[in-house]
Amino acid sequence: MSVDIEVFGQLLPDQPRRRNIDISEPTTVREVAIKIGLDLKLIGLVTVDGVQSGLEDSVQTDSRLCFFPFIDGG
Amino acid sequence: MKFLRVNMTDKTVTVEDVPQEYHGLGGRGLTSIMINAEVPATCDPLGPENKLIFAPGLLSGTNLVNTSRLSVGAKSPLTGGIKEANAGGHAGDKLGKFGIKAIIVEGQPKERKFQILVIGDDSTELIPADDLVGIGTYATSDRLQERFGQNATIVCIGQAGEYLMTGAGIASTGEKDQRSNHAARGGLGAVMGSKGLKAIVLLKPAGKALELSDEKILRAASKTFAQELIQSPKLGVKGSQHLYGTAAIVSAVNEMGSLPTRNFSDGNFEPSVDLRGEKLREIILAREGKVGTRCMPGCTIACRNLLPDESGKPIVGSVQFETIALVGSNLGIGSLDDVATINYMCNDFGLDTVETGAALGVALEAGLAEFGDIKGIIGLLKQIGEGTTTGRMLGCGAATTGRVLGIRRVPTCLGQAMPGYDPRTLKGNGVTYATSPQGADHTAGNAFGARKEVNPLGTEGQKQLSFKLQNIAAMLDSTGMCLFARPPIISTPQLMLDMINGIHGWGWTMKEYDNLSRELLRTELEFNRQAGITKNDYRIPEYMREEPLPPHNAVFDVPDSDLDTIFDDL
Repeated sequence: MSVDIEVFGQLLPDQPRRRNIDISEPTTVREVAIKIGLDLKLIGLVTVDGVQSGLEDSVQTDSRLCFFPFIDGG
Repeated sequence: MKFLRVNMTDKTVTVEDVPQEYHGLGGRGLTSIMINAEVPATCDPLGPENKLIFAPGLLSGTNLVNTSRLSVGAKSPLTGGIKEANAGGHAGDKLGKFGIKAIIVEGQPKERKFQILVIGDDSTELIPADDLVGIGTYATSDRLQERFGQNATIVCIGQAGEYLMTGAGIASTGEKDQRSNHAARGGLGAVMGSKGLKAIVLLKPAGKALELSDEKILRAASKTFAQELIQSPKLGVKGSQHLYGTAAIVSAVNEMGSLPTRNFSDGNFEPSVDLRGEKLREIILAREGKVGTRCMPGCTIACRNLLPDESGKPIVGSVQFETIALVGSNLGIGSLDDVATINYMCNDFGLDTVETGAALGVALEAGLAEFGDIKGIIGLLKQIGEGTTTGRMLGCGAATTGRVLGIRRVPTCLGQAMPGYDPRTLKGNGVTYATSPQGADHTAGNAFGARKEVNPLGTEGQKQLSFKLQNIAAMLDSTGMCLFARPPIISTPQLMLDMINGIHGWGWTMKEYDNLSRELLRTELEFNRQAGITKNDYRIPEYMREEPLPPHNAVFDVPDSDLDTIFDDL
């Protein structure tokens, strides 16, 4: 299956921010993060289809995953 | 430390010793408790009985980092309740170094004439401001710095404050690129205008800092505090706050479906990709503007920026998240240049960008211009500066605009506009907006940073989360500390105590300090009660309970019983 991913801020500065990747099923947010080379310690927030999610949450096909660094309210 | 009491009726200034009961108070703690003690809760907020109080925090005027915010308090003409708004810049630090615990501005001139309050080491005087009437905050600051020196700090109002518009804020100069820092919320600029006070000029103090009670304790605590800020993945030099400013959260708030869009009718703004912090940084660097600048001395976070236009001429410093949300996506504007232009105009007129953005959103819904029509929006904004009837309506904020134009969808609590998080999808902030004695104000207890603790879309735990956050905000607002600097304090509260005790020698325990913060909230709630605000006023607008917000189609469904009981354990 494939998922859309987008990374923000200072995460993975040398890679495209937005892309579609193929992953094996079943999988979790953590596995996707590792697959694209993210340092888990630098992830402050993850959303899956616009909903705040945890690293152990499962990922469905065609989902949109967003990885944010540590951020704070304005 | 001393009080300066400025009587605008007879144009006198008196210096007073600080009464014992106010010794342990600073910032919001001092402004709110003094207002409750000295201002009749039922008074006209724009009348002679209201008082406008400027107070540095308990940590201001020292060499500590991130602790120089200036609190301004009064009865709010916008909410009808108690209000404190605070600003970065140099004023808090200077007042601390002058040994001034508060400036209390009271009375009212009999004729509509404006004054300037000039404060130096040896003298304080009121002088006529005739040549500054009708001009904006930038020109007012420039002229006063030409006259009193570039080291002078200027606190002033623009046309909006002079016109007594209830969306008016108070501007304060800061570091070179950050000439406009606002105590924006609650219409306090209108209170300053009602007192006939156009500006305060703070000359350069001769003293360097407050006398310290225990320098060793203070030095150890301040070193740890600064190191933790610098090393923080969020706040340090490699952190998003420094690299992208507060605009770092535009994408996340949009992704979570909480970004105010076209008068709070959607939580997702498709063109927000052009409003992101990443885009802002890219544009600024390409145009040789500035990122990672600071508003106050010694700030280690440096979340501010200076955005130039394509020719390199500065538009405004600083473009920040709340402004991007309220005058950007909320107005259907997807260009940072357009946001910056509106931001500059609001700053110059002395307007709160949150209140004005919300008012304009309501006006666009009523058809005064189209969403996304930058020319139409600027045309409306210009009318605020000109003081036309439409301009006065808009300048008085979203609630007034909604009433005049017959629009029911008005995003306010206690008459004050909501900031950049729709409460239907960030329900903890909804609870804060609804229940804070300060009206809809994210700085009173922002749940965005606490999103891991409680599901922002759920109802469970929101009351407890908001209560905790409101208590922390009250605590920090009394110190002059920037809210962004709170993580080290939340993880190690003793740091805060050591800094306070190191300066003042009070030997406070955490329990004593917590009691003071609770007393502050109790006092603010009691003032509001006496002002006639009931529990039924502490509510999210009804339409937000009925109208699902795309894309999550969420409504605000935290039960009233939770709102009514949030402070039961205060």
